[in-house]
Amino acid sequence: MSARSTAYSVGESSTWTKWIAAVLVIGYALVAMIPLVWIGMTGFKSPPDSIAYPPKVFFEPTLEGYVNLFTTRSRQTDEYIESLGPPETWYDELVRERNMVITGPSRFADRYKNSIVIGFGSTFLAVFLGTLAAYGFSRFKVPLKDDLLFFILSTRMMPPIAVAIPIFLMYRELGLSDTALGMILLYTAVNLSLAVWLLKGFVDEIPREYEEAAVVDGYTRFQAFYKVVLPQMRSGIAATAIFCLIFAWNEYAFALLLTSGEAQTAPPFIPIIIGEGGLDWPAVAAGTTVFLLPVVIFTVLLRNQLLRGITFGAIRK
Amino acid sequence: MSAPGTGTLQKTKGRGLARWFRRGPWENVASVLIALGIFMLMQPFSEWLYGWSFSVILTGTLGFVIVSHFPE
Amino acid sequence: MSGGAMESVADAAARATPKRVAGRLRGLSDRAIAWLFISPTIVLLLAINIFPLLWTVYLSFTNYRANQPGREVKWIGTRNYERLLGSEDVWGYMQATAHFLVWTMVLQVIIGLGLALLINRGFRTSGFWTTVILIPMMLSPAVVGTFWTYLYQPQTGIFSYIINTFVEVGALNMIGSVSLAPWAIVIVDTWMWTPYIMLLCLAGLRSIPPYLYEAAEIDRANALQKFWYITLPRILPFLMLAVLFRGIENFKMFDMVVELTSGGPGSTTELASINLKREAFEKWRTGYASAFAVILFVTVFGLASIYVKALNRVRS
Repeated sequence: MSARSTAYSVGESSTWTKWIAAVLVIGYALVAMIPLVWIGMTGFKSPPDSIAYPPKVFFEPTLEGYVNLFTTRSRQTDEYIESLGPPETWYDELVRERNMVITGPSRFADRYKNSIVIGFGSTFLAVFLGTLAAYGFSRFKVPLKDDLLFFILSTRMMPPIAVAIPIFLMYRELGLSDTALGMILLYTAVNLSLAVWLLKGFVDEIPREYEEAAVVDGYTRFQAFYKVVLPQMRSGIAATAIFCLIFAWNEYAFALLLTSGEAQTAPPFIPIIIGEGGLDWPAVAAGTTVFLLPVVIFTVLLRNQLLRGITFGAIRK
Repeated sequence: MSAPGTGTLQKTKGRGLARWFRRGPWENVASVLIALGIFMLMQPFSEWLYGWSFSVILTGTLGFVIVSHFPE
Repeated sequence: MSGGAMESVADAAARATPKRVAGRLRGLSDRAIAWLFISPTIVLLLAINIFPLLWTVYLSFTNYRANQPGREVKWIGTRNYERLLGSEDVWGYMQATAHFLVWTMVLQVIIGLGLALLINRGFRTSGFWTTVILIPMMLSPAVVGTFWTYLYQPQTGIFSYIINTFVEVGALNMIGSVSLAPWAIVIVDTWMWTPYIMLLCLAGLRSIPPYLYEAAEIDRANALQKFWYITLPRILPFLMLAVLFRGIENFKMFDMVVELTSGGPGSTTELASINLKREAFEKWRTGYASAFAVILFVTVFGLASIYVKALNRVRS
């Protein structure tokens, strides 16, 4: 995907047209970044600054949004606050300026932790099962193979809300509603379909001769898979894992309908970070930033690995 | 170049009925049916078309599943 | 399973026995391995995808309500389907979905294709800017919807402010106004997913062998002819793939829109999935909602069939 390798397709493209292309593309990229930059900035604004008109580009940065994100507070009278003595920490001080007292940690950290546990748990399972199934589908004669593969892929495309109705009923019967295990199983199933599809593409690219040679050397079929194929799939597995992780991280519909407390992940929680009197925008922006930043970093660092996943394997490089 | 071409042509002709059960064209028919059904489902013009849209989509989708098992 | 021990046993067995017998001795048969490897996936998908699917189909013929578990469940035939397909409201939600679907696709194809053609000029640092452009589509749609409600604030939001610096239109109430809300969701989706179309167009452009352009050069074809006869036919399969995939995704769009407008104002942005959620999890008309779900299922399944066909064509 380097710039130079693409130049061939327009052999005669002059520096002049290149210049215009660059201006337009960079212009689009900068405009497209405004919303994200703005949200990043809002996280460091004070609540009045966040709803100022005209919108403030320059402002005095404060960590109030982040403090509000991670704590719960209650409004108190001046006398009560004075009776508490001097504030012990910088965040106590910050909150007291608004006549508030920190009453405890908010649930955001828990929700974030849930996102991590469920994300990594389901990714591990999906990639583990997916690698086995992909190898099976790629190397062995499986009856109704094409139908199975198509069915596996099409389950991925089903509208989550429609699937959620019976899953909701099923989980209610099994006692899996609002548990991390239930969410991990569900996300594993959703990710598995894509993982099998993607990983099969990677296995298909590994020549069979390697395993055959290993089997001739006295390896069992299973050892040949474990010692010869698996190491060669490493980059493919990593790409699939990143993709599964991002899906589980971003998922909202199932999380909204099937979790409410204990196992709730961050996406359904962020919209309900409410401060006194309406939405506390700096806190919401802070939560958004903390939540989106890992994905942005992943995208920038691992773009090429991600592309194959997001296009269902249509793009190989 | 031309000799193998005519060969395959004769072969397909020879198989008679099998000629009618080839996958490609039937898949296209099913695809068109699905597309038509989706248009009927979402168009803002006629409630009658809307009412029959699902039957058309269902026919197209089931049809697709069946004809995709025809030989190439 | 300790690899080392197994290996030495296998090695010893391989050395000691003639080839045919060794094949049988080496642990599991191919058939057993195939099933061992594939069955966990199949079982999980059966439990969490297929079984619920069949259950939905069954429920769609009943009057079941999930919030009244004790109530007798009656088989009511196709009455749920008749009600859905005879309902002017549901037809309206489908039209709202169509508005969203058609306009997002049109805008994204135009902008995405344009960007891909520009990036393909290959200026310096184009790789970096491509990555920057890709960022929005990797983000959580629900969270994107949430923070756009902030950007869309009529008085203080930056969207309205920026528009007003170019055209004096007054405070834009993107989410609250009946005429603007359908466009509010189109804009956010376009912001998010144009990179996807761009990406597949780029893949298409890169699949064009350069000699085609060289040949066209010799034939003195002009830029437009080259685009029309060489570029377009080559990227069309990729473009179709992208549109089909995004079409399916937007047909079932839920998370971004529910956070942005939650279907309002009135029901101007009440897309099919949003209404389905309302019927299933707010009104608890489970049977009716299941029928709705089946309609969406079958439609998506049909589109997915076409998509997979197109995908296999592009991949081969």
